[in-house]
Amino acid sequence: MEKDLRVGGQSGSTSDGDFASPVEESRRAFLHAAGLLIAGLMLPQASADEPLRAAAGSGHKILVVIIGGVRRAETFSREGLENIPHLAGDLLPHALFYPYARNEGVTAHFNAISSILTGNWQRVDDWGKLAPTTPTLFEQFRKQQRVGASDTWVVASNKALTSLIGASSASDFGPSYGANVVFPKQLMLTAVVDALRGGRTANMADRAKVEAELESAMQGSNYEGLGWNVFDAAEKLDPRVQASLKSAIADFVHGGGPTSGDELTFFMTREIMRKFSPSVLTVAFSDVEVAHFGSYALHLSGIRTVDRLTYQLWQEVQANPAYRDKTTMVVLPEFGRDPDGSSTNGFFNHRANEESTRDAWMMALGAAVDKPQIVERPILHIDLCPTLASLLGCRPLESQGSLLKEFRA
Amino acid sequence: MEEPMQVVDNLPDHLQSALSQGLLKRLPLTFLPFVNQQLHQWEYLFPNERQSVERLLLFVASLTPQQSSLLFRDVVQLEEKMGVSRWQFSTSEQTIRNSSELARSPYFQDWRRAVQAVFDQADQHALSTKAAGAASANRLVLLEIPQPLPLDAASAWKHWQGIGKPLKLELAPSAPRQSSLQFLLAGATSGGLLDAVRTRPEAAPADTWVVDAARSLTDAVLARDPSGAAAPKAILLSYQRLDLYRQAFSHEMNTMRKDLADADAVFDHLRKVDVTPWCPPEVAADPAVREFLRSLYLSGNGAVIYGNSFVEWAASEAFRRARPRFLAASFGVRSRPKPFTGVAVFDNPDQVNPTPSVDDLPGSAIDAQMLALYVWLAASRYDEYQRSTLCVCLAESIAQAYVVGPPECALLQETQPISLPRLRDELRNRIA
Repeated sequence: MEKDLRVGGQSGSTSDGDFASPVEESRRAFLHAAGLLIAGLMLPQASADEPLRAAAGSGHKILVVIIGGVRRAETFSREGLENIPHLAGDLLPHALFYPYARNEGVTAHFNAISSILTGNWQRVDDWGKLAPTTPTLFEQFRKQQRVGASDTWVVASNKALTSLIGASSASDFGPSYGANVVFPKQLMLTAVVDALRGGRTANMADRAKVEAELESAMQGSNYEGLGWNVFDAAEKLDPRVQASLKSAIADFVHGGGPTSGDELTFFMTREIMRKFSPSVLTVAFSDVEVAHFGSYALHLSGIRTVDRLTYQLWQEVQANPAYRDKTTMVVLPEFGRDPDGSSTNGFFNHRANEESTRDAWMMALGAAVDKPQIVERPILHIDLCPTLASLLGCRPLESQGSLLKEFRA
Repeated sequence: MEEPMQVVDNLPDHLQSALSQGLLKRLPLTFLPFVNQQLHQWEYLFPNERQSVERLLLFVASLTPQQSSLLFRDVVQLEEKMGVSRWQFSTSEQTIRNSSELARSPYFQDWRRAVQAVFDQADQHALSTKAAGAASANRLVLLEIPQPLPLDAASAWKHWQGIGKPLKLELAPSAPRQSSLQFLLAGATSGGLLDAVRTRPEAAPADTWVVDAARSLTDAVLARDPSGAAAPKAILLSYQRLDLYRQAFSHEMNTMRKDLADADAVFDHLRKVDVTPWCPPEVAADPAVREFLRSLYLSGNGAVIYGNSFVEWAASEAFRRARPRFLAASFGVRSRPKPFTGVAVFDNPDQVNPTPSVDDLPGSAIDAQMLALYVWLAASRYDEYQRSTLCVCLAESIAQAYVVGPPECALLQETQPISLPRLRDELRNRIA
């Protein structure tokens, strides 16, 4: 019988489940469905422990796309493929794909993303009140390669993040080497709340006035309330940043397309790529997190949105001369979601210590991908940071993660 | 760290007596928030919950100090490893900060298992001293995906993965504008399932729940029995009849800043505010139901946002807390997210954006298909529902029902379409 001494927080211990056997059938089903059991694609792996070549001065750029919590059942499974036509159909044939990239840490947003970005499992405050305790990829890159503040950015939809995601509390590192952090969805929420408080709700039904509300929320006294951190400016946005983001807002509002938080995040990311061409850019989408409110249809819609936006980001990489042929783009979910029938209400949440919650995947595209291949060896989220740091020519720091030898510098 | 809470006045004498002899001092620190909160809110607990607390506490009271130390040994050892005594840990009630501290500990899962083991021992003790009559009673979970929601007959039951069987229905209209579930519950004139469950021996309101994503089902039940609003014979929850309650909570939560201190402050206010003025009569009349809704809304899971999420989470919590013998639930229609303001789903969308709401019928159907399964899965987690419970999910748009139950159930043998009156009779025979 289940008992009532329950907590609402996140699972924090490692799983003791058998990794391979429970997913064997779904793995095969997926591979068949994706048409990937083709000998030519199953290439031999690079030799073990071969260090990645340093990329210092090579201009290698990194784009990390993190897409919230999605289960294998709704993505890379036979039934899920229909939700990810671009990832499975357009990108996978060119990708280095890890079907099993596991989150063994805290399956809450701030900790999951900061673990990916630091290469160490973080156990800090779930609400982003505390910075990660070990250096982020941004700090390692900026300090070791002596690059400027405009070269590392985080653009995130997720409301559970704060600007502390951009830098750690580690001594010798910290905010002076951190990333610029922008939360476009928070801008939308602030605009909505401002309009509500100011009795201007009619504006939210008029595209031209929505643009004005968003710009108003971005400027002046509201900037601090957005939780952003751009060029260490505490009160006013840098004029170059303002101009860029205004342009993104105009594209978003007048484009005539969907208007979710992730859409605005995409437009701002694209604008930042065009204006600042950062070397390390992390994008965190979160439309899929509508699952917390219990709408399965909107959760699936969020998956389809992020599938499309990820593809559009890749198209931008291909079209933008500052990125073309020198960029590695990595796509991964923060974690899965809880299994149907769990006491934590299934797909709504991501706090069960279950395979469904920890199970994820990872896809890499571009410069670091020698040839497309599927690497069935399970990897961990924390393996990504040391691998990317190596691509950027950074000396290795102490990390719980391991280098992914299939990445080519 | 606070001292264990003082004994509460309105408890049964035998429990009062055990508490006055220092029973709470035998409990580990991490048990105290739960136990203190349950004792403090005794008048708001359903009978099943009171029995559960009594089972635990009277079991501990029956042990010698050495035996109770042994019972809690693993929990106490884990608390020491976790460093609970150094936390800012409330022993008087469960807080978000408590939950966060526990969940962040690497020993969290071990602690949960140790806690579960204690409750299991208390249950075994209770089973050995009492006949478990209630657990063996026939139970019914009756769900409806109503007519406006479009389903595809070929895939309507795919989430159920073959655990039951589809059944064809003859849906000749039995009364104008009456849904199938309304007919089954209230009948055309009489003889509905609600009449049947009310006449069962020892029937209590918490044994029967009706949960409605809209209001027509609840309105129909109340229209059949107007006196039921003031003295409900079943627990009636309607998402739309609770508009005022829900919107008041939603507004408060929307003002919350994203930090633990502020969240606890807002939640503390919402735990104490008098909700009676916001309640429809059928809810205002029962303190346990008023408080059930308060905790339902505070626990999230979309209950303040979407009618279908409200139905699923209310039903799940009803199973967990009250173990009803009969639960009926109807799903409904939600609106599409509005342009630009769709991100602010936590607020009243019509207040934020004057653009007219547009029904999302296909999306609502997808939601309802998954959430109907979740209602059944929530029930099936508990022993009481694992052997003699029948689950019937009606899908009006395809004139089908999906039936899950014991193999001997007559409905699982049906091969021909079945009329609603006959379905009602079968169900009534099962639960009466």
